Amino acid sequence: MVLLVLLLVVGTAVVLTRDLLKATMLFAIYSLTIAGLFVILDAGDVALTEAAVGAGISTILILATLALVPAREHRQRGHNRPALLIVFITGAALVYAVSDLPEFGSADNPVHQHVGPYFIEQTYPDMGIPNMVAAVLASYRSIDTMGEAIVILTAGIAVFALLSVPPRRRQRAPDAKTRGRDEG
Amino acid sequence: MSVEFIIQLIAALMLGIGGIFAIIGGIGLMRFPDVFTRLHAGSITDTLAPLLIIGGLVLLVGFDLLTFKLLAILFFLLFTTPVASHATARAALAAGVQPLGEDTRDTGASTSKS
Amino acid sequence: MDTVLLGTILAVFTTMALSLWRALAGPSVYDTIVGVNAFGTKTVLLVALISFFTGHHDLIDVALVYALINFIAVIAVLKLVRQRDLATSGSQDER
Repeated sequence: MVLLVLLLVVGTAVVLTRDLLKATMLFAIYSLTIAGLFVILDAGDVALTEAAVGAGISTILILATLALVPAREHRQRGHNRPALLIVFITGAALVYAVSDLPEFGSADNPVHQHVGPYFIEQTYPDMGIPNMVAAVLASYRSIDTMGEAIVILTAGIAVFALLSVPPRRRQRAPDAKTRGRDEG
Repeated sequence: MSVEFIIQLIAALMLGIGGIFAIIGGIGLMRFPDVFTRLHAGSITDTLAPLLIIGGLVLLVGFDLLTFKLLAILFFLLFTTPVASHATARAALAAGVQPLGEDTRDTGASTSKS
Repeated sequence: MDTVLLGTILAVFTTMALSLWRALAGPSVYDTIVGVNAFGTKTVLLVALISFFTGHHDLIDVALVYALINFIAVIAVLKLVRQRDLATSGSQDER
């Protein structure tokens, strides 16, 4: 599909760009493309979360971090050949494993056999919530959701603590950066 | 020629023309020479194309809860994309990006504290 | 009606590709911001059209949320590019 090609282009551009601001914007476009793919696969809740988190909050947080660091990425010298070999082998193994998966969405997949029919039939009589995804997240597996909420609260507190220092040395033009780094 | 057929025809026309305007705006975004002119092209895709496309979708649906949600999307897009374009133009001008053209003297409209 | 919807979806895809090209090739950061803004609005339209094309009408909420978030993200980006700090307010437009 067209969206997969766009995804490849954007992903390559994010890696190859040296300007960090442009890379952040392209990362927002990447999240949007993934959200579009989720909508095509008819997963509304996941698309909503991906669009809100990836294109909204994540972009803003990365930009707030960028206010504290230099604006261009430091270029690495040379190629790291053992790392390239390991990544290539792992990628090839993953692609081979994908070809072994059962057919997408067919009715006799193992994941659809055991707990799935119970949830589909018993959610409304048990809980009274019409949306099955929300019922699993908030009623059947509610302690898991509480753990997730605690994790997100901790992450939010940490981010707030890190970013609440105003950037004293970046308020002038970027060519005063070396002078600012000495006095900061 | 029932009323329903005419409504479907008008909806199809609005969807088609909205798509054509979106492509025209995209071509303008590619080919214009300057940030400010590209903002003009981008705002066509942001206000005119959603107006036509969402208007066509509203005609297809009829009168439902879905219509209210579509109209909410349309009103929100119409209110916020001109604000975003204006903010981008103002930020670009204040950062020193010079518009192309012979007479680029600033008449003071954007750097006054209004 | 399905072919008209499919044609409009392809037109919106083309516009997304064109604005992505502008976001990648822009000489200044404001070109990238213009491209990302246009891409975001096209995504809202794309999600609305897909929810009609596949018949699942409850995906319209994704488009609504995304329209709100796109605006806030672009304004936050502009504020950060200008003033390097999310918490300052006011008109500090001159250098």
